[in-house]
Amino acid sequence: MNKSIKLSLTARQEEHWGWIMVAPTIIGLIVLNLWPFIQTLYTSFCEHLGFGHYKFIGLQNYIEMFQNAEFWRATWNTVLFCILTVPLGLFLSLLVAMLLNAKIKGKGIFRTIFFLPMVCAPAAVTMVWRWIFNGEYGILNQLLGAHVGWITDPNFVMISCAIVAIWSNIGYDAVLLLAGLQNISKSYYEAASIDGAGKVRQFFSITLPMVSPTLFVVMIMRLMASIKVYDLIYMMVEDTNPAVTSVQSLMYLFYRESFVAGSRGSGSAIVIWTVVLIGLVTIIQFVGQKKWVNYDV
Amino acid sequence: MKRVSRIAAIILTIALLLSLVGCGASDGKTHLTFQIWDVAQRNAMQAICDAYTAQHPDVVIEVQVTSWNEYWTKLEAAAESNTMPDIFWMHTNQILYYSDFGMLADVTDLYADEDPNYYANHFSEISIANAQGSNGRMYGVPKDKDNIFLVYNKEMFDQAGVSYPDESWTWDDLVSASQQIYDKTGKYGYMAYNDDQMGYWSFVYQAGGYILTEDKTRAGFDQEGTKKGMEFYVGLQNYDWCPNQAYFAETAPGTAFFSEVGAMYIEGNWELMNKAVNFPNMEGKWDIAVMPRCPDPVSGDGRATISNGLCYSTAARGKTLEIALDVLKFFGTEQAQLIASSYGAAISAYNGTEQPYFDAFEKAGYDLNVSIVMDQFDYGVQNVNNAARPKWKSPVLDEMNKVYNGQQSLDSALANMQQIVDTETAKKLAGN
Repeated sequence: MNKSIKLSLTARQEEHWGWIMVAPTIIGLIVLNLWPFIQTLYTSFCEHLGFGHYKFIGLQNYIEMFQNAEFWRATWNTVLFCILTVPLGLFLSLLVAMLLNAKIKGKGIFRTIFFLPMVCAPAAVTMVWRWIFNGEYGILNQLLGAHVGWITDPNFVMISCAIVAIWSNIGYDAVLLLAGLQNISKSYYEAASIDGAGKVRQFFSITLPMVSPTLFVVMIMRLMASIKVYDLIYMMVEDTNPAVTSVQSLMYLFYRESFVAGSRGSGSAIVIWTVVLIGLVTIIQFVGQKKWVNYDV
Repeated sequence: MKRVSRIAAIILTIALLLSLVGCGASDGKTHLTFQIWDVAQRNAMQAICDAYTAQHPDVVIEVQVTSWNEYWTKLEAAAESNTMPDIFWMHTNQILYYSDFGMLADVTDLYADEDPNYYANHFSEISIANAQGSNGRMYGVPKDKDNIFLVYNKEMFDQAGVSYPDESWTWDDLVSASQQIYDKTGKYGYMAYNDDQMGYWSFVYQAGGYILTEDKTRAGFDQEGTKKGMEFYVGLQNYDWCPNQAYFAETAPGTAFFSEVGAMYIEGNWELMNKAVNFPNMEGKWDIAVMPRCPDPVSGDGRATISNGLCYSTAARGKTLEIALDVLKFFGTEQAQLIASSYGAAISAYNGTEQPYFDAFEKAGYDLNVSIVMDQFDYGVQNVNNAARPKWKSPVLDEMNKVYNGQQSLDSALANMQQIVDTETAKKLAGN
């Protein structure tokens, strides 16, 4: 590169303006994201003595973390939560999006109904679900005539949380996918039906490839959110619940370490581990997308 | 045009800055915030603040209520950034943590001018211990004292033909009464909930065991008495008349009791007035009795109840320290403690100011045997704590959960809990 090229005066002024225009975002990112991240990284090598006093202890937090059975349990719970919610959630969202894209009466009303969970406060949503799942008086057990401890039985509690997570997210994901579906030109379908392609063939040969970029974005977002799941589980399962170890996610464990027990250091180590986990999953997805995401419209 | 907009921008900026300045108090008075966690005590707290501001018209105190869990997260964050409320409640679970780090103002000499032995002369030993730091200095003015007892449903006892609990009751009576009530009425008997303060602690001390040694440096989970108390308490869950812990995860024992599905549970006196007011349909159907005693304790007479107490504290580096200390000084006087007692929400700590608490129930027309609370102070055991308690509280709860889940035996849990508490305590002692 030739550095001796001098920019004209106006060009240099414009360059200044460019920096000034992006400054609010850049400063915001540095102050609110980058700096806290560096601090978290540093904290993860420290022991929190109390009230902002830290002692550097090197890798001790990580060594203890990797030896802790509860930590591995939480990691597995988080992975399990992703496996339960992401594929099924995406499938249902796509299904809903396609139904909402079809020519049916009252489409607007249905779209609103499916989007409603997104508008409700997560805490309120969870409280309602807790009552639905209540083992003694819950409507679900009444309907089934069963006596299942949906949020107290270690075998069911994860499934219950997954159901609520999927239910809360379908609307949002479906709206995103709907936008993707509406970008597909009608002419593809017309051409396909003239050539004699059935609905199923049309779905796999036209709809899926054409919506795949949107689907990919939704999948990345959903997977990241699932790895970071905290509020839902915290609201559904209190720490006195005997089933808590069967559903405790990494972020739940982080909360208990950092804010209940006051061990900011080991809490930060859990966060760093989660960041690594999200990074790994995202890299795998970006490599994998080359096989199935279609950007040629 | 360009100039006009520039001038407009400058004016707007100045206006914005001025409005920020305007946020400060402009009425010339000192504004204090007073943070508490129990909404049921709001009126009592407001009343003593009003009594103070009546004498000091230049001070305004705002009472703020935050829920128990949020309270401690917020207070710790505030302590780190030196923005603690001017006055706040302090709990035995946390006082050692806060005071050891120098977050609380030392109030040992608060009353030095009128009586150097003010605390010893007017407060019980437990009350004083609850307000002390590890170094024996006072970091709060004692606020109240409490203990826990048995709450029972009279109707269910009548239906089952069982006589009401009284001083003579032992653990065996608790079990047999529960069984009879379950057999005759189909309702739950005593609802044994997995909790420390409101659960197994009292039973451990009744059996002659202990959770922490007296110098608070070691756990007592390896003691015979401790094992006996916990074996009994955890074993209660195996009876048909006791709901399992999964039930309590969805329905707190108090809720179950006042929905008339269970005959007995353990409650603290700070909740009594609240329950009486909130469940008018249960009026006359329930009463309270002393804790049942251990029939064959390893040592002692088999009687114990966990007694706790809060105190009023202020930040060591507060901006309004002098005025806050003056308010605390007033809160610790007989006058203020009498007012606080009269609302029936908490028994004031100052000796001789207890009566208004008991009168409050009579005044409100609630026929409850509240005098037993006073009797129980004779064998009250100080709420268990040491500086490492915030660290070991959750892990110990997890161990207990595993016992209730059937994932581990009580013996292995006792060994684990002993190790957890000892390790965390040793770490804390080494660190300071």
